[in-house]
Amino acid sequence: MDIDAILLSLKLAFWTMALILPFGIWVAHKLIKLNRSRPWLEAALALPLVLPPTVLGYYFLVSFGNTSIFGAPIVFSFTGILIASLIVNIPFAIQPIQRAFEAINPEIREAAQVSGLSDWQIFRLIELPLSWRGITGAAALTFAHTLGEFGVVLMVGGAIPGETKTASIAIYDKVQSFDTAGAGAIALVLLGTSLVCIALSFGIFGGNPNRRRGLN
Amino acid sequence: MLKVKIKQINPSPLQISLECAPGELHALVGPSGSGKTTVLRSIAGLNKTASGKIECNGEIWLESDGLGTKIHHLSPAERSCGFLFQQYALFPHLSAIDNVVIPLQNSNLSKSERKIIGMDLLDRMGIASLSGRMPHQLSGGQQQRVALARALARQPKVLLLDEPFSAIDAPTRQGLYKTLAELRTDLNIPMILVTHDLREADLLADRITVIDQGISLQTAAPQTLFQKPRNSRVAQLVGISNMFHGVFDSGNLSWDGCNKTFMVADKGKIPPKVRVAWVIPQSGLSVHNNATIDSVSVIVEKMSSLGQIAVIQLRIQDSENTIEWEASSAEVRRLGMVVGSPMHLELDGNQIHIMPLRPINDPRRFIDHQSEH
Repeated sequence: MDIDAILLSLKLAFWTMALILPFGIWVAHKLIKLNRSRPWLEAALALPLVLPPTVLGYYFLVSFGNTSIFGAPIVFSFTGILIASLIVNIPFAIQPIQRAFEAINPEIREAAQVSGLSDWQIFRLIELPLSWRGITGAAALTFAHTLGEFGVVLMVGGAIPGETKTASIAIYDKVQSFDTAGAGAIALVLLGTSLVCIALSFGIFGGNPNRRRGLN
Repeated sequence: MLKVKIKQINPSPLQISLECAPGELHALVGPSGSGKTTVLRSIAGLNKTASGKIECNGEIWLESDGLGTKIHHLSPAERSCGFLFQQYALFPHLSAIDNVVIPLQNSNLSKSERKIIGMDLLDRMGIASLSGRMPHQLSGGQQQRVALARALARQPKVLLLDEPFSAIDAPTRQGLYKTLAELRTDLNIPMILVTHDLREADLLADRITVIDQGISLQTAAPQTLFQKPRNSRVAQLVGISNMFHGVFDSGNLSWDGCNKTFMVADKGKIPPKVRVAWVIPQSGLSVHNNATIDSVSVIVEKMSSLGQIAVIQLRIQDSENTIEWEASSAEVRRLGMVVGSPMHLELDGNQIHIMPLRPINDPRRFIDHQSEH
């Protein structure tokens, strides 16, 4: 089994999740307060959902092909596939969190306002705890989705072992070289990991979601 | 003293002025969509579209010109209002005590001091033993008590109550009325209650402002409002059943559709030979078996018994007019009243209140900023 590829996928999934969650929370919180420009922004942020990964990869290569960070080129590096993965995961991070913020009864926010809380306190003490399910859902989705990401990672990163060759690319390589047993082993690990992380997000924070949102 | 003078064009027109003294409970009543809740939200700073002036104990909370330019606008957090929501609006992820102490977040008090204050407030509400419960583990009445404790935690300068009893069952409501009455004397701050229930307003309020389509039609003590509504729309909104029309000319009121004239006292505000609406309270009605000089002949049209009280509908003979008379069941028995029996009704002209008659669908013509005490 290609342990390096699995570890690289886990590392990519972890960093994608860790970096995109604060961004997702911030954008989702801004989005619910917008009126007129909201549909356009939402459409732009949802684009990675519908665009083929090869299209995203193409634009990424065109945009960052000659760009370097600290002297190291972005494309065909871990940094490159991390940036690409962050872009691809934008809708998976924002939408569950946005839905959770939207589900908070407006009167709850108003009650916090008249209780003398500042905007930051309302966010920290009221909105964030009430949106916890949405945030964990977004975390699980981005993690699992990154584990399975193939097209854009291949376009942007190539398949450099230990650097950009993730588990899903390793499966592809193994199938190409008729190593179906090796491919099956990695596929099983990916399947199990994805299942476990989604089940955890559903199970740990279970219970009646309406009660948690104050809709009882 | 809370002084409110606000105006708004969009999203719905509003033109209200009212004053509420410390310790006074001032009710805003009116049909759904009349703007009562908007007034309350404007006072709390939750409605950002109102312009005008809101002042509390000499502190300006809002001051803006008619063009919508805000000269001074305090945020809801800066206004120090206790606000009680219709659906309680408790923070669902916090226990009762944590809900109550959250307004003390920005105080200089330690956590334990905040908890003592919170427990004291819950104790005053009679639910100290439920302090650790989550909102969904409390009944409606208990949740509203927690919400009331939370509203009082910051020692507000004004208490605003937005239909706080409408989602609560009747027996629990009685308990909350009592709590509110006790609080009034203890707190000595202006309290504004929005309600669509006139009985509730009559029971709790010192003064009532009737609002219709965003405009305050009349402010008066409940007794005055029910006996002397300023115009026919107010009479209609406060549910006065015995309202009729007629022509008033130099002290004489002739009743439309009846050959009957009354001598009525007036302050000289009504011009001669003008059509008016008029009302008469139950105390101005008496029913007899025999005719008197001032009586009119009536026929008993309908009788409904409500326990000790009976409501009798009387039709004036040779007329389309009917009048409702409330009497004790004993009085009804004494008169030997049955449906169809002829009776004689006496109306006391001194208790008749006449009002200008204006188109009901145009409340803007009733604009009135003077309040009656």
